[in-house]
Amino acid sequence: MPVRTNDIVYFDNAATSWPKPSQVQAAMIHYLQEVGGSPGRSGHRMSIEASRIVSDTRDGLAELLNVDDPARIVFTKNSTEALNIAILGCLRPGDHAITSSMEHNSVMRPLRYLEEQHSVELTVVPCSSATGNLDPDDVRKAIKPNTRLIAVVHASNVVGNLMPVKEIGAIAREAGVPFLADASQTAGSCPIDVNALSIDLLAFTGHKSLLGPTGTGGLYIREGIELRPLTRGGTGSKSEQEVQPDFMPDKYESGTLNVVGLAGLGASARFLLQTGVERVIEHERALVERFHQGAAALSGVTVYGSPDIRQRIGVVSFTIEGFTPSKIGLILDQAFGIMTRIGLHCAPAAHRTLGTFPDGTVRFGFSYFNTLEQVDYALGIIEQLVGDMRNG
Amino acid sequence: MAEQPLVLDGLVTFFASHHAIRAEKALKKNGFVVVLVPGPREISPNCGVAMQFEYRCAEQVRDVLARNKVQIEAIHQYRMEMSPESIDKFRDGR
Repeated sequence: MPVRTNDIVYFDNAATSWPKPSQVQAAMIHYLQEVGGSPGRSGHRMSIEASRIVSDTRDGLAELLNVDDPARIVFTKNSTEALNIAILGCLRPGDHAITSSMEHNSVMRPLRYLEEQHSVELTVVPCSSATGNLDPDDVRKAIKPNTRLIAVVHASNVVGNLMPVKEIGAIAREAGVPFLADASQTAGSCPIDVNALSIDLLAFTGHKSLLGPTGTGGLYIREGIELRPLTRGGTGSKSEQEVQPDFMPDKYESGTLNVVGLAGLGASARFLLQTGVERVIEHERALVERFHQGAAALSGVTVYGSPDIRQRIGVVSFTIEGFTPSKIGLILDQAFGIMTRIGLHCAPAAHRTLGTFPDGTVRFGFSYFNTLEQVDYALGIIEQLVGDMRNG
Repeated sequence: MAEQPLVLDGLVTFFASHHAIRAEKALKKNGFVVVLVPGPREISPNCGVAMQFEYRCAEQVRDVLARNKVQIEAIHQYRMEMSPESIDKFRDGR
């Protein structure tokens, strides 16, 4: 059954963004219809044009993230793959890693796997149960002589609060420990400067705030940071050798890239560069602020995360007394056409931190394309639900 | 003064196609005539692309690439065996 999208209020952008800028599908169709070709594999014009598309996308991402050399960005299928390359490629038995209690499972599971099966020592620094905030000093105190990685989410996918990555980056740099930032929720919706934030490794996904298609993502690897590749195979380069090349970006990009997806990601990156990420975050913060103000007036509604709007991205999490999150999600979808994400958001540690485990919360993930009217519409429905509950 | 005829007798080889594309972009922006071609087997075993240019500009090309931080494998003085005229002959004989 086709979805009647005109009737829909899409608040599930933190899972995957929708709609995309129209340039995204145009670029993808252009590649499929007129370019074709495998990038970096052949020398014919279609192959070269495909390579140009990939290169332009890399350049766009480098500009968005203030990466000096675009070759230091490798493309992956999503953040999860990028995080796995960083975590599994960096840590060895006997090493110690530090992370926070607000992490998504894409950071937590690879770390727990290494802890359980490869003798990696792990410290999970607890975050505030009230706000989910992380005290950078707690990270400093957790550093040991064998610490080889500090991995922290840039902004929580559950409550949308920005972590103190600048402070943690400085602490990591001073200690000589590589710093991995998980920018799954922030790349594209929050200004990121890998140099100013002292980020050594930055994982991003293409299909959330970057407004690109699914199946795209990447990892920035600072010069001087060497990781063991997660996969090895054909790169179109050094084909006479049976061992993996050791230069960027081919070292970490085995197998044919998702060119159709990267064509779309390049178009969305250009859209964001033209629009300005500052404008995006201002817009999303206005939506968050409106939601906070409206929800605060409703008894029985609990909104999680920091109340400081300057510390927020366009994600809010809430519960309504008397309703399970799954019931709220069902009502909002079926009766009112509002798409949300309910439950644990693949981040059980974060929900344990906030005291919302195991039921979880209802999450609204806003995008640049949402409006204040949509937020007011949702608040009106929540008010109605609270009223219904009170009146039995 | 008559312009010199364009002779693409220089060839830059790269480690990765990413650098070939960046090289093309940087040089075109600086007014050079360059053409991306399949890397000739006798020059480099890489199966990716190489870039033709006028060898008399080799030093300026090297300079532009260095300034734009484009990694290269090597710069060669090399003329493709398959000239445009001989390609035309193939086409006509079809």
